[in-house]
Amino acid sequence: MALQTDGIVLNNRKIKSIYFLLEIDCPAIANEAKPGQFVMISTSDNHHPLLRRPFSIYKSYSTLHPSKEKRGQLSILYKKVGKGTQKMSTFKEGQKVNLIGPLGNGFILPPLPSPAATILIGGGVGMASLSALGEALCSEKIYVFIGGKTKDDILCEDDFPKGKVFIATEDGSLGKKGTVVDLFLSEIERFDRGRPHHVYICGPEGMVKSLSKALKSKKWIIQVSLEARMGCGFGACWGCVVKTRDTEMAYRRVCKDGPVFPLSEIVWESS
Amino acid sequence: MKMKSVHHPELSIRIGKMELKNPVIVASGTFGYGQEFENFMDLSQLGAIIPKGISLNPMQGNPPPRIFETNGGILNSIGLQNPGLQVFIKEKLPYLKKIKTNLIINFFGKTQAEYVELARRLDSLDGISGLEMNISCPNVKQGGIIFGSDSKMTYRLVSEVKKSIRRPLIVKLSPNVTDITVIARSAEEGGADAVSLINTFKAMAINIHTKKPELGNVTGGLSGPAIKPIALRMVWEVSRAVKIPVIGMGGIMKAEDAIEFMLAGASAIQIGTANLIRPMTGIEVINGIKKYLIQTKMDQIQSLIGFFKA
Repeated sequence: MALQTDGIVLNNRKIKSIYFLLEIDCPAIANEAKPGQFVMISTSDNHHPLLRRPFSIYKSYSTLHPSKEKRGQLSILYKKVGKGTQKMSTFKEGQKVNLIGPLGNGFILPPLPSPAATILIGGGVGMASLSALGEALCSEKIYVFIGGKTKDDILCEDDFPKGKVFIATEDGSLGKKGTVVDLFLSEIERFDRGRPHHVYICGPEGMVKSLSKALKSKKWIIQVSLEARMGCGFGACWGCVVKTRDTEMAYRRVCKDGPVFPLSEIVWESS
Repeated sequence: MKMKSVHHPELSIRIGKMELKNPVIVASGTFGYGQEFENFMDLSQLGAIIPKGISLNPMQGNPPPRIFETNGGILNSIGLQNPGLQVFIKEKLPYLKKIKTNLIINFFGKTQAEYVELARRLDSLDGISGLEMNISCPNVKQGGIIFGSDSKMTYRLVSEVKKSIRRPLIVKLSPNVTDITVIARSAEEGGADAVSLINTFKAMAINIHTKKPELGNVTGGLSGPAIKPIALRMVWEVSRAVKIPVIGMGGIMKAEDAIEFMLAGASAIQIGTANLIRPMTGIEVINGIKKYLIQTKMDQIQSLIGFFKA
């Protein structure tokens, strides 16, 4: 159940190049957050910029978490790209930040036990929600594919101690040279043809579209977390839609009916 | 008789046959079907709720992108996506009827006959206080001319709809006209119980990197703080041109904005874009108006309406 509440900034620092980590004390949201959900953050109090900005919840610690200092915290991984994130990068420790969340449907975890593999494929800040998912997974067969343009775009590579991590950079500065899609396809033979493996995808649109084509014939259970320009973020304005195969109402809200959708449901428009 | 005093100012107002506990209404298209807001606030505190507009048949809406943020505003080209009357009655109305405040249904059509048919069917439902007719739609039987851009079409549409219903009818005006007072008068002559203004301004944005429009539909409607000065001027002009109540909207983000509209002549106001940013804006505005009345020692909201008479 989403709510609107103030959090307190605990830390806001640059991780590498244009990627930042914002840690917030916000028990009301941290207690409810599930992997794949997001928050709408108000980045200004003077209407510049006007709208809130959506960010996946990276890490969240409930008030019952074993680590006492972390209880009630949630964190956001963000890329400084526009007006909103520019403002966010100036948030100071101790200042209030107004959030709405947790929002969205979140990922559906694989059933236990499962002989099938759990495969995570992502790029850039898309890794934040996959990292949150990684923490919730109990499977022994976790494979994580992380891609980016350069090594400066590779995030969360150390967040998967339980899994086998593969990295690809387009310029070859880290891991295998090429796209994460090519890397994944080069490793695809690892995955037993007979099993319905669980795949979770979160990253740039180009990557998702390529994966969609490549995995078309597979009978795997593939979930994709989408991004969209959002108005309200909680389902009221119908601004953030994606086209789906639904016969009654083709346009579905990414904020409310998603952001996670079965990959096969998405209709990719030719641009 | 209600007890009012300078410490407990009276906020209730009348729009036609509708009695609103306060002048704060949430605008169609910005409040979903109510349930999206139930965790943020007590919806019954609002003067009235106007859910997303309904058409006779389902509408898919426009292709994305449907939203683009501008300086102090939003461009939207949602395209009136809605599940149609049948699904609305079955799936959305039951929840809305449970909220203890006025429910006003916004509706529209592609032809005059469609408007009349839909109005008739909505009028027969229980739990509805009034209807708000969106006339910013193209008349497909007249080459796509926007109903609300033509005074004769507006007059004919309003009078035909008014003839077929018993409930109060609010006519929501388009600002994309040469003289909005002419359209407002036509609506009044046609029998409208009130007019609400303004709907969004036709606008657009272009991305210089992709060299394409930012909206999938190319043009859309501009709303938000940026349009307030124009909306306010139009509300002022219309309230001097008609005798029926005027419901003002356009960039209202806080109580001070609402008070400006009431001073200009609005009997009630609608909050739209602000709901997307601060869902509880409606409640904040009600409290702010109350505070203002107390501070200025006014015991009732009527003292504010049209205070400025030039």
